[in-house]
Amino acid sequence: MAVPDALLRPGRPRRPGPVGRGIRPSGGGAARRRVVASEQFAGWAFVTPGVVIILLFGAVPIVWSALMSFQRSNLLSPSTPFVGLKNYRQMVHDPVVGQAIQHTLVYTVLFVPGTMIVGLFLAVAMNRKIRFINFYRTAAYATMAISTISEAIVFIWLFDPSYGIVNYALSRVGVPPQQFLNSPSEALYVIVAMTIWGWTGFAVVIYLAALQGVPQMLMEAAAIDGAGHWQTFRRVVLPLLSPASLFLAVWLTINALQLFDEVYLSTQGGPLNATTVLVYYLYDQAFQNFNFGYASAIAYFLFLIILVVTAIQFRVGRRFTHYRS
Amino acid sequence: MTKHGLRFLAGPLGVLTALVLVLAGCGTDSGGSNGGSASTIQIWEGWTGAEAKTFTHLVTEYQAQHPGVKVSSLYVNNDNTLQKVLTAVRGGSPPDIAYLYGSWAPNVAQIPQVVNLTKVVQRPGVNWNDFWVGERDVATVNGKVIGIPALVDNLAVVYNKTLFAQAHLTPPGPDWTWSDFVADAKKLTDPASKQFGTAYVTPASEDSVWHWEALLWEAGGQLLTADNKKAAFDSAAGLQSLNTLRTMAVTDKSMYLDPTDSAYANLFNSGKIGMLVTGPWDLSGFPNVHYGVQVMPSFPGSSAGHQTISGPDNWVVFNNGAARVSASEKFILWLTAPAQVKYWSLHTGDLPTRQSVGNAAGFNAQMDSTLPGVSAFVANLANVKQARPQIPTYPKISTVLANMVISVLLGKSQPQAALSSAAQQVNQILSAG
Repeated sequence: MAVPDALLRPGRPRRPGPVGRGIRPSGGGAARRRVVASEQFAGWAFVTPGVVIILLFGAVPIVWSALMSFQRSNLLSPSTPFVGLKNYRQMVHDPVVGQAIQHTLVYTVLFVPGTMIVGLFLAVAMNRKIRFINFYRTAAYATMAISTISEAIVFIWLFDPSYGIVNYALSRVGVPPQQFLNSPSEALYVIVAMTIWGWTGFAVVIYLAALQGVPQMLMEAAAIDGAGHWQTFRRVVLPLLSPASLFLAVWLTINALQLFDEVYLSTQGGPLNATTVLVYYLYDQAFQNFNFGYASAIAYFLFLIILVVTAIQFRVGRRFTHYRS
Repeated sequence: MTKHGLRFLAGPLGVLTALVLVLAGCGTDSGGSNGGSASTIQIWEGWTGAEAKTFTHLVTEYQAQHPGVKVSSLYVNNDNTLQKVLTAVRGGSPPDIAYLYGSWAPNVAQIPQVVNLTKVVQRPGVNWNDFWVGERDVATVNGKVIGIPALVDNLAVVYNKTLFAQAHLTPPGPDWTWSDFVADAKKLTDPASKQFGTAYVTPASEDSVWHWEALLWEAGGQLLTADNKKAAFDSAAGLQSLNTLRTMAVTDKSMYLDPTDSAYANLFNSGKIGMLVTGPWDLSGFPNVHYGVQVMPSFPGSSAGHQTISGPDNWVVFNNGAARVSASEKFILWLTAPAQVKYWSLHTGDLPTRQSVGNAAGFNAQMDSTLPGVSAFVANLANVKQARPQIPTYPKISTVLANMVISVLLGKSQPQAALSSAAQQVNQILSAG
């Protein structure tokens, strides 16, 4: 069967050039400007409510908490003396901050690749025409729609040391019962499992969309060149998914560094600080101990971490990311 | 470009100005109606279910008795009330009255807008000493009364009568000791059927701490020295209390540890746990088991006897001008007067906040018909002999103590080592202030 020449050489399709640009009606300057001005006014009128809300609830707290990080503030008494860098210096000497950083990083390193691998696996499995495929896709995405609190309650029971089904399953294969959330050395991993489950649906949707964007002709070309399934996946599909992977890596990392809900709902940072991550510690300092100044300093420190990590991800990611156009 | 740029900005700036004006207008407007009339009292409370119904009834009754006064109540989840009050105080529009946890009292006392009620509770007819001593202690910070008791509870032992009978054990009597408790817990434990003698909540929070504090007091110990300057729990009593818990959690494995602070109640209601040290709030969650309630056991040889710990909460009044303060004080004194306290307890099953109500003839029988077993908790209020230290650094100390108790329960440290390390940390917190 004759294959059209173009399919064998899947070069970059030429984008159509910009149409209509640069064609301006000559003359009519003042009237034209009035039209533009009123259009701009209308545009700004539409976005202004949003801008005001973002300034009010986004920008003001950002500036205020920056200010607070240099104060001793408990929000209770009106006296908020400036203490310079004292809150930041305190972080260096606070052993829990060190633990929290360690837990946050361990969590991120496990959670981000874990979610991406599970998500990619499911997306590839569901990127085909089989019966009930819409049901499977909905089921995979449902994990995103389920509220964190239900998710936490279910996982707490699954991993209950005495009554949980996980220990039961382990006992069937001869593994002794584990303490899970009661164990300082295991609790963080239960939270990793819990959140991977919760975020998989998100990764699946992103990967599924990216997979559908992989041109069929490239797959066929690879097949004709004699590539096996694995080679095609490794050499053709995976590189084409790299923009989606970069997006997921950045997005999941930012979320991982801000882990809070699952910890708050299941262990409250325990046992023995084993699941105390930065945001949970920050919350604890602010709303349990009323150290708002110190909590703000931790928040800014976390912001710095996220900034650096994201910058690195973009740097490294650029090298491995292939954009088709 | 510049010319265009400026014109380009004119639109948004105009809209922004208009919006700011509108927003500012809203602000002044609502502020005005808030601060204007003395006849409307804003109250923030977190009642749900039977409590919400009873509260609405009492508010309606008060409004009927006091025409011209409107009590406007707003539901706020109790856990978040202080957060929201802080925001409202900053915004200059605190509620007139808010329901705040007793454990927050030392911090609440630092808010300048909180009304000092010391003279108010001395008014004729208030009869301040009628409130239980544990409540008065928690409502008072450095000699200043900052709230009126709103709710009181305490810890006692709730036990499953069926499991006791099955194990051929005598149900706990009023003179029982911790040795009895430990022995019973061991006999009630059956790994095969996943049945535990007792349970202990182990979230990294105050809930892990106050259960232990009752044991410390019963063993004759104290948390801090009388001047609140140094740790005092690294003592023989501290060791005895931790050893008792350790025996059950580590040696006998008769104690189910619950880091979620909620699973234990379902397990008790499913007949999987023999005894719980808990408060009256849990009773309504045990419809499936035949339970009894007994005071907490005492330590053999300790002169401290049977004690318990209480977590009372307060109605706190905020200053929104003299007229509204006066109206709020009147309402809150009425709400906490004996007649209303009695009505409240009988309709909600909550313990009476006043001794005269709790000690009245026939009251306990009436209470038990509302909620079986609750009268034992009412009687147990007499065993509330001390309160947690009323100092602003208590939350920090609590974190240290939680880790101390949990590390012993998980078998991660020996009781004496845990005590010494915690005492050192607490001393550091206290000296830093």
